[in-house]
Amino acid sequence: MLVLSRRAGESVVVGDEVTVTILEVRGDVVRVGIDAPRSVSVHRAELLAELATSNQGAASPPQEAVATLAEALRRRKD
Amino acid sequence: MTTTVRPVAEQERDECGSVGVMHDLPVIELVHPLPGFPEHRRFALVQLDDDGFLCDLRSLEDPDLRFLVASPVPFFPDYAPEVGDDVVAELEIEDASDVLVLLVLTAGASLAESTANLRAPVLVNTTTRRATQVILDDSTLSVAVPLAS
Repeated sequence: MLVLSRRAGESVVVGDEVTVTILEVRGDVVRVGIDAPRSVSVHRAELLAELATSNQGAASPPQEAVATLAEALRRRKD
Repeated sequence: MTTTVRPVAEQERDECGSVGVMHDLPVIELVHPLPGFPEHRRFALVQLDDDGFLCDLRSLEDPDLRFLVASPVPFFPDYAPEVGDDVVAELEIEDASDVLVLLVLTAGASLAESTANLRAPVLVNTTTRRATQVILDDSTLSVAVPLAS
């Protein structure tokens, strides 16, 4: 991992197309601006982790749960 | 620039069936793997009930891996995710009506205990069979919204 010290207003360039700029430092909160092409997805790490956990919890549900859900749906429609 | 992918109510009754999932969409290819499942790219979309409310997303690489997915229409009729140009380009979307919107469900013991992921729907281009789980830029949407409210 590359570790750098930066001040507000200073930037780091990643590859040819991604620029990360420190916008503001206030207390323990750092505001970061990320300028990247559309093809590069930028997400908060904790959101990706939450999504991974959600997907893992959703994966391969027991057959009984699926049957119960399908039945509840059918009843709801009636 | 964003594109709104609004599931059409008339098509919903057999959302999965209406696009011929079983016969016409045997294989869909994820342009990015699902978060948490980096090794799996190819899935079959299989209708589970007569109405086509429920479908199974079955991994072609791992027979034990599947996800229960559903159309948002019967549960969240106002749900209309907006996606950016990057997603439109990646899925090669030419017409929003070609896009199948699927919610990943976490099945519980009952409808009330089951949840849908509204923050990150799976979008399928039914023409190109390219799909991806899109993380919507809307922090009011949760990854676990109860199906029955």
